[in-house]
Amino acid sequence: MAENSPGLDVNAKGNAAHPRPNSWTLFRLWLAIGAQSFGGGTATQYLIYQAFVDRRRWLRPEEFAHSFSVCQLTPGINLLALTILLGWRLRGPSGVAISLAGLLLPSVTITVLMTALYAGVREHPVVRAALRGIVPATVGLGLLMSWQIAKPLLAASRSIRNGSLLVDLLVLTTSGLFVLYFSPPIVAMLLAGGTAAGTYGWLRARTASRVETG
Amino acid sequence: MDLLLYFWLLLKASLFSTGGLGNLPILHEDLLARGWATDRQFAEALAVGQISPGPSGLWVISLGYLTAGWAGSMLAVIAICLPPLAVLAVERVYRQLQNHVFVEGFIRGLSISVIGVFLVVLVRLLQANGMDGRALAITIGTIGLTLTRRLPVPVILLLAAAFGIILYR
Repeated sequence: MAENSPGLDVNAKGNAAHPRPNSWTLFRLWLAIGAQSFGGGTATQYLIYQAFVDRRRWLRPEEFAHSFSVCQLTPGINLLALTILLGWRLRGPSGVAISLAGLLLPSVTITVLMTALYAGVREHPVVRAALRGIVPATVGLGLLMSWQIAKPLLAASRSIRNGSLLVDLLVLTTSGLFVLYFSPPIVAMLLAGGTAAGTYGWLRARTASRVETG
Repeated sequence: MDLLLYFWLLLKASLFSTGGLGNLPILHEDLLARGWATDRQFAEALAVGQISPGPSGLWVISLGYLTAGWAGSMLAVIAICLPPLAVLAVERVYRQLQNHVFVEGFIRGLSISVIGVFLVVLVRLLQANGMDGRALAITIGTIGLTLTRRLPVPVILLLAAAFGIILYR
């Protein structure tokens, strides 16, 4: 129970299902996650799940899953949205500030220092040659990541409706070709892509329900 | 450089995208058009973002430093922390909207559009770096090595750096 666990305030309202961690415990946890989060988002998500669901049971697995899918719909970095949402659930506004600070302090500090060090040597011929090797590698990673993002989306389209996959592929190629040849404002084009797929889904759903009722 | 406008461009790119690299196409367009960043700086920032800890989205902080110094990196931190705060509002409406076909399709279409644009930006980065057989070999090699899951990403990038030194010096 909550009283026996170290580092917990007993919730004033006596809600034992959602014990609130104290600020310092919460900060230390996020700091540890931030410091260990080498290798991108997936590893970090796992660390968060382990810390908040497995070990401390501050969240149920389905609450975590719900939070995670909400974060996919949020602008910006998904992992930061997850951090904000969990911080809010556990301690309200102060929880958000504490969690973000904990997660970002190690990684931001290291990122800035690495860049500063790099900026000092970036004109050195060896460094320039190294960069020429790194850029194609980064592009390779970018291609892989595009595929990882696109795959579940396209798979979902394929499983719902036949035409939806075709619309997705059209949106994908049209936005690429438009940028290549006409350089339109990117934001407008992304919104157009979204609107096209959204309208198509909506029209299909409407026709489907008409067929059912009529 | 107008730092307020610079901050707005960083914020806008993050507001209209999801994921760590979704803001790349918008920033690439806005900053290059004003001459505030170069393809090389983008490539450098992306590489640092991959090697350093934390979400890969922190590459923007590196870009901030390279293009506008310490102030730029701090503005970038603020710009990437603000948009995800919308999660608190999104959470409230999520239950009502999760079965809404338009919203569902819109989000999918937006994400797919981002990928279409992203692919073009990747090719442009490759071209700016000098597209040749060596570069393509490194690209393909990286994809192959990453897919085997034998080596962590920072190690693969260090290998690419070593190949760069051998092949391009």
